[in-house]
Amino acid sequence: MVKQYAFYFDASACIGCKTCQIACKDKKNNTPGVNFRRVVEYGDGGWVPHPVHKELLMPSNFFAYYVSSACMHCEEPICVEVCPTGAMHKREDGVVLVDESKCVGCRLCEQACPYGAPQFNEESGVMTKCDLCIDFLEAGLQPACVASCPQRALDIGELEELKKKYGDVNAIEPLPDGQYTKPAIVITPHPDSQKSGEGTGKILNPMEV
Amino acid sequence: MSKDDFLSKVLSKAKLTRRSFLKWSAAVGGTAAVAGGVPEGFKQAIPVAFAEEEGKWVPASCWHDCGSKGFNKAYVVDGLPVFQGTDDTVEDKPNRPQLRACAKGRAQRNHLLSAGRLKYPMKRKHWEPGGGNKELRGKDEWVRISWDEALDLMAKEMLRIREEHGNKSVLCVRPGEPTERLMSAFGGYVNGWGEHSGGTFSAAWHLGWGIPFSELENDRLDLENTELFVLWASNPAWSRAGIPMYDMTRYKKNGAKVIVVDPFYSATAQTLADEWIPCRPATDTAFFLAMAYVLLTEDDPEKDPLIDWEFLHKYTVGFDEDHMPEGANPKENYKDYILGTYDGQPKTPEWASEICGTPPEQIRYLARRIATTNKVAFRMSPAPARVHNADSLPQAVMTLGAMTGHMGRSGRQFGHDWGHSFLAEGYPLLVGGWMLTPTSYVNGEPFENPLASGFKGYFGAFWRNERFEDDDVWLINYNELWHALNIGEYTVGKDKKREVDIKMIYHVYNNKMNQFPGTMESIEVHKKVDFVVTQNLFLNPTAQYSDLVLPVQSHWEKYGYVRMGYRNQIMWTSQVMDPYFESKSDSWISREIAKRLGLDPDKVIPCSFKQNVFDHVAACGVIKEDGSGYKPLVTITEEDMEEFGFEGEPQEGQISLKEFKEKGIYHIEREKGDKYEHIPYKDFVDDPENNPRNTPSGKFEIHCQSYADYITNCGWDEKSPIGKYVPPLEGYESTFEDWENKVKGEYPLQQYDLHVLRRVHSTLDNAPWLQEAFLQSFWMNPIDAEARGIENGETVLIRSRYGKVLRNVTVTPKIMPGVVALGQGAWVNIDEETGVDRGGCPNVLHGSVSTGQGHMGLNSCNVEVEKWEGEPLKYDHQLPPLVPLKEA
Repeated sequence: MVKQYAFYFDASACIGCKTCQIACKDKKNNTPGVNFRRVVEYGDGGWVPHPVHKELLMPSNFFAYYVSSACMHCEEPICVEVCPTGAMHKREDGVVLVDESKCVGCRLCEQACPYGAPQFNEESGVMTKCDLCIDFLEAGLQPACVASCPQRALDIGELEELKKKYGDVNAIEPLPDGQYTKPAIVITPHPDSQKSGEGTGKILNPMEV
Repeated sequence: MSKDDFLSKVLSKAKLTRRSFLKWSAAVGGTAAVAGGVPEGFKQAIPVAFAEEEGKWVPASCWHDCGSKGFNKAYVVDGLPVFQGTDDTVEDKPNRPQLRACAKGRAQRNHLLSAGRLKYPMKRKHWEPGGGNKELRGKDEWVRISWDEALDLMAKEMLRIREEHGNKSVLCVRPGEPTERLMSAFGGYVNGWGEHSGGTFSAAWHLGWGIPFSELENDRLDLENTELFVLWASNPAWSRAGIPMYDMTRYKKNGAKVIVVDPFYSATAQTLADEWIPCRPATDTAFFLAMAYVLLTEDDPEKDPLIDWEFLHKYTVGFDEDHMPEGANPKENYKDYILGTYDGQPKTPEWASEICGTPPEQIRYLARRIATTNKVAFRMSPAPARVHNADSLPQAVMTLGAMTGHMGRSGRQFGHDWGHSFLAEGYPLLVGGWMLTPTSYVNGEPFENPLASGFKGYFGAFWRNERFEDDDVWLINYNELWHALNIGEYTVGKDKKREVDIKMIYHVYNNKMNQFPGTMESIEVHKKVDFVVTQNLFLNPTAQYSDLVLPVQSHWEKYGYVRMGYRNQIMWTSQVMDPYFESKSDSWISREIAKRLGLDPDKVIPCSFKQNVFDHVAACGVIKEDGSGYKPLVTITEEDMEEFGFEGEPQEGQISLKEFKEKGIYHIEREKGDKYEHIPYKDFVDDPENNPRNTPSGKFEIHCQSYADYITNCGWDEKSPIGKYVPPLEGYESTFEDWENKVKGEYPLQQYDLHVLRRVHSTLDNAPWLQEAFLQSFWMNPIDAEARGIENGETVLIRSRYGKVLRNVTVTPKIMPGVVALGQGAWVNIDEETGVDRGGCPNVLHGSVSTGQGHMGLNSCNVEVEKWEGEPLKYDHQLPPLVPLKEA
């Protein structure tokens, strides 16, 4: 029995192609505006005059990288904590789920979650979120996003095993610091990745996330 | 609700409406017009959970012309695709990676079931034989008509036009074989020619270096030996989805260094580059000449060897005056041109820097880095060669490759990056599909367009020959097509023009109005002719300006499709769903029109679609163990033929028919060092005497008279036999009114087109999920934005000499100052009142101008950008979908 399912994300391999986002959208048939997985681009850079040839501009302090993020199925999920009806719950295998029959659509979980994982479905009036494609997991398949990644930048596994294999980074900019909710994620940073809370860049595709 | 509950609910709903028409109505809704870009049915659909016993996976085609290949499959429940999947037929490992699909492939279900799909034949309300009110094209109402009415009126008008104006008045550009066969039997049609993909590499490689496009790249396993990759304007993260970028990432993780030269800090640069060197668009040749200068002036064979003189002398002609091809002017050698011996202009890094915007020391650094690294793989996308006057660029690139000896050797390659997937790493190990046979009907009679007699299929740039000037050959270059039709005259060769008067345009699964340069002139042309017919899945811009629109089936709705992957995969995809509403296949349409034209439909379309798919499957080949040729891939038995209803001969292969059909893909597992590790023209480098190149000298021709003559004969430009820098009509220099004093002109910015993740050329631009995921951006540097009072996200007007486009701007330091970029392929949407394109189509900004070898020369254009004071643009996914017919 898995104690805590977790995603693995390799920021040094992600090219921001959003195949994961579309594969998720397709699997979950989500409407526009509802994306259980999203890809954020983070970075910065500027242009400065060349020291000798003043008319030439040179790139300066450039860096940029992508972060693909879904529900982190946190060890201490704040969404579960704030849910007044018990609709939001955590299974024994660590998967955080909404019981739609109990959800009243108060959207407290949406406000509380620092990852924007629970998303409101206007049609059904209830919260929806990544369920790790448990139907696929039960059939021995990987979640849609993981199986889709052309860069092999995503994986799924037992949190402790992923940590042994890839280390214990669970946050890079622009993700929030992991200490509050203990996200079940293991990240291989991009060489330019910045530490959560200490970033100098900004989100470069705000309209797309 | 439990998983079982909602699954049973979906299934019961589908079962109630089994008949195809009703089923579709239930699946996508009758009106399907809701804000937000998603049809009713989709919005309300509940996600379907996976349950092995309830549905089945069907290998699903992705047929778009992106140059890459991914494997898709659809999970089908009671005839409806409910979600997609990708390759999991083999364990994923570097020697045999799964052929995973990209975001575009994964959005096909959404695209094919979206509200924009054409359902019925439609006629423009005010069309009459002869054209009716032609001015209404693009804004008239559509009227639903029956197939009989559509086909009858089409055949009648075709016969009238042929009788009154002849076949030379019918234009049909690259329509695909069912239509080619029909139009050939009809007596012929005017076609187009030119290179819109490989740019000037096309003729330069074939004539100058004797390199066919199947010898672009070293095998992917051989490139594991490379120490340094130089990716020049090459962004595989966006333009070569799948295996190519996965491989580049592997090489990098295994220790290779990566330098990216690009005007844009691309996704590839972000992810992989150790260094990024910006260079202005359309100035690359100058950069290369300066690198040659650095090597020539700093080379010291003893103390500082930078040039592989042995390679130059043994394998090339034309580098210096002692090694010229026969009959050439010795003064016209590359070395003296670089040094400025005769023209007084040494091509120094300082000279180049003023043009290309890269600091001189970076040019010097890159030249030395390439020269002093043992194993370099240099990969340039053809984008910089899709520029006006860029015919010298491939020569300058390849000459640098020869100077540094990074050619035809392990871990070393120099030139064009990944071509189409099936050519990307050398000869394919699995063959099939149209690559195999002279016609796409495997057992069909060959055919010929009487107005291009002797020519077959695709007319790339290097295809032109003197026969283009014959009276019975009617081929118009893509780049001048719209202008030529507008003025009634096209170029057939040097100093030779020919009058042309087109009365009918027949578009089959294309969007030439949008995708050929000169969209504004194309609209004028479409408003002049008597009859425009479009056969397509969607009401794309070309269809919008038509009189008759015929809905066709996608590959998801047809029996099957055989397609090569990369070198090591081949796919056989199958029918996923019933035909969408009244859509028909292209071959059915050709047969029906043939009947009405008095032609024999069995001659036009020689066999059933299903039988032809089977013929393709039977013809698939796999490389023999000794590499000497191909043997059958698929085992076919008498029982198979009986069961599936095919005719043919039994054969022995590697995989059974049933297994291939079920899996949909066959892989070859490779081992490093195996006998399939291909290195282009290694035979020539190993033994030049016995393996000469296919050039007059048998060597790589740095000085290439045949290339210069070819370009002269095309009729637009004169060209030196060696690679010289000639500024393009609209490049960096032309942004100035006064170059000497650096006074900017009316169009001070350089605009170029990017291949973006949202679509494949103009296909998929209307897929709602992709619209949401990838905004149609226009990129601009903060320095240029600030100078114009423009802020991120605002709507801006982009003006060129030819047209005006609106877009919401992405202000980002990732693009060089002075340079702006649009994603190519966005659907033109002209506002009738202002004449401004609200769709963001780059070809509105480009003129219909031919150049050099007939390649597309649009990848640098001069523009000015200003804040738009009118109503701000919404993003495409926020607009209501373009629904062909407003039904009750």
